[in-house]
Amino acid sequence: MSEIISANDGNFESFIQGHPMVIVDFWAPTCMPCRLMEPGLEKIAASHPEKVRVLKVNVNENPKTSSRFFVRTLPTLLFIKDGQVRTQIVGAVNPVQIEKTLNEVS
Amino acid sequence: MEKNWDVIIVGGGPAGLAAAIYCGRALRKTLVLEKKVFGGQIVFSDIIENYPGFAEPIVPADLMEQMAKQSERYGVVLENDEALGLVREGENWRVDVYQNTYTAKAILYAAGSAHRFLGVPGEQELLGRGVSVCATCDAPFFQGKKVAVLGGGDTALYEALHLAKFASEVTLIHRRGQLRAERILQERVFKNDRIKVLWDSEVQRFQGAQKLEALDVLDKKTNRVEPMACDGAFLAIGTIPNTGLLKDLVQLDENGYVVTDISLRTEARGLFVSGEVIKGNRRQVAISVGMGVQAALNCEEYLASLD
Repeated sequence: MSEIISANDGNFESFIQGHPMVIVDFWAPTCMPCRLMEPGLEKIAASHPEKVRVLKVNVNENPKTSSRFFVRTLPTLLFIKDGQVRTQIVGAVNPVQIEKTLNEVS
Repeated sequence: MEKNWDVIIVGGGPAGLAAAIYCGRALRKTLVLEKKVFGGQIVFSDIIENYPGFAEPIVPADLMEQMAKQSERYGVVLENDEALGLVREGENWRVDVYQNTYTAKAILYAAGSAHRFLGVPGEQELLGRGVSVCATCDAPFFQGKKVAVLGGGDTALYEALHLAKFASEVTLIHRRGQLRAERILQERVFKNDRIKVLWDSEVQRFQGAQKLEALDVLDKKTNRVEPMACDGAFLAIGTIPNTGLLKDLVQLDENGYVVTDISLRTEARGLFVSGEVIKGNRRQVAISVGMGVQAALNCEEYLASLD
């Protein structure tokens, strides 16, 4: 069973290079929609451990990674396949929509 | 997952969750569908100070989590999925979601409202790149920067006050010469050195390539448009009701709101409404909660008549 991994500016690259399909959840402690979306992301991480790795990046502590992807709104989800950003979701969404996007991208 | 329900509540904000508590306690098989996050739009705010019963400001997400848990305590099922179709079939209602279908004897529609946008050039292109609808979420990106808040109601002023803790300068841009917000919030804004108000002004364009760089602001008194350098712009110009699923079922006004009375019934049998989808709702959590309870009690009366 896979779970959400906390990534940072130092190890982010190794995580996205180390798995063909990655969802990155950019969040901050003050972002309440981010907090409320987390259980849905946990379910996705747990139900597709082979298919996808789910990372979370705290934007307050990891400005390099957030700037690299021009993240200026939370929550933002990036869908990265083979090291390349394929699509993103900006704003709060339900897990069904995340799963749907994952299926379209992967 | 159970397919057949007594009540399906569309929307998991204050109205929907308050209704859910009452439906659960009436021992009705109750499903709540929420398309974004449980708690509704209020969870985008950092504090709530006027919800009766709390002497100190509370975090809206905490309040709404408690409401959700309270409903689950009475057997209500909360499903984070979007209602995509709503159809009357014989004596029941059918609700379509992505890859699934449910039926219910009654529907309690409390889908709330969505952020209103200006619809001017650059707005959608720069959404998420400086243009935002959630100061609580995005304020940390604007530490020491210049931001603008568009609007003049409670939400706009709360956003301005929150942003003033991070940004070097906050400009509140309002299209009128006076604010609609609570007087206590106005007082705080006027006293805050980092916030200035631009009266009788409207944003006509959001400028920037990779990210927001400036706003074109129309001064309605002089009819002149001037660029204003800006790193972030937060929209708080009201909402539009999420009533797309109701348009062929009930009477809506010209702005898409449901027209009903205190009964919160509609002309469609077994379809009740609640919260911000209703014409005249003043967008307060306490009001939506009360309406949710009212709709749930009337819904229960309807279900009892079918028993």
